[in-house]
Amino acid sequence: MSILTAQAAFYYLAAASVASALLAVTRKNPVHSMLWVLSLFMHVAGIFLLLGAEFLAAVQVIVYAGAILIFYLFVLMLLDLPGEVARPRFGRHWPLAAGAGLSFAALAWLARAGPGVAPGATRTPAGASPRGSLSEMGRELFGPFALPFEIASLVLVAAIVGAVVLAGRRSARS
Amino acid sequence: MIAPMGAVLGLSAALFGIGVFGFLARRNIILMFVSVEVMLNAVNLSLVAFSSHLGDPRGQVLALFVIAVAAAEAGVGLGLVIALNRNKPGAGVADLTDLKW
Repeated sequence: MSILTAQAAFYYLAAASVASALLAVTRKNPVHSMLWVLSLFMHVAGIFLLLGAEFLAAVQVIVYAGAILIFYLFVLMLLDLPGEVARPRFGRHWPLAAGAGLSFAALAWLARAGPGVAPGATRTPAGASPRGSLSEMGRELFGPFALPFEIASLVLVAAIVGAVVLAGRRSARS
Repeated sequence: MIAPMGAVLGLSAALFGIGVFGFLARRNIILMFVSVEVMLNAVNLSLVAFSSHLGDPRGQVLALFVIAVAAAEAGVGLGLVIALNRNKPGAGVADLTDLKW
């Protein structure tokens, strides 16, 4: 893939991600909103691929789009949550919300224009790794990050137990 | 370098801002959680961008941990939503004020 094609792909993916995210937070129908989030996750996975993180792109599609989002959709369809449009107070807080979001973006923009986001000295040329990103990542994960990796599994077990306790309490009693 | 660092960070900031906006503006509690997922995705994007820029795989490892914690958050959060909905069927976030002092 030539560099120009890759750059065009990046800018397409970036624009599509922002558009999907905007549609996801503004659509009134929750299921449509969820499908736009699915589109956002797919486009972000494409950006991960372009940035050389193949494993994370696969995890993004399998875990985020395939598991977490379907879980959200199941719960959304299981519960009949009240519609958002019926409330007259819907518009009261959103300018504040937009201001908070824009100030975050502006802060990041200012930090970018400041003295160097990343130290240039430690930078190695892109694609310098001979083993590829997945093998590098595995070495990190089972070397220096072995304890955090195990703790992540502990966090997931705690979450499973917590979800069962929270969601299944009353049905277990009766 | 395919994607300039500033462009990826700008995209990450924009997605994070949209997520913050969604979290504050939505009234459906599940869509508020989904806005949190959008914010986590934006953070992952910036971690991967730094990892790629600095040639350091640790950023990707951190992004993997963020995904694991996001999965845990989804499980516990949606368990809470189901428990809330069982106690107060059809309640929106505006009605959940029992803990308000």
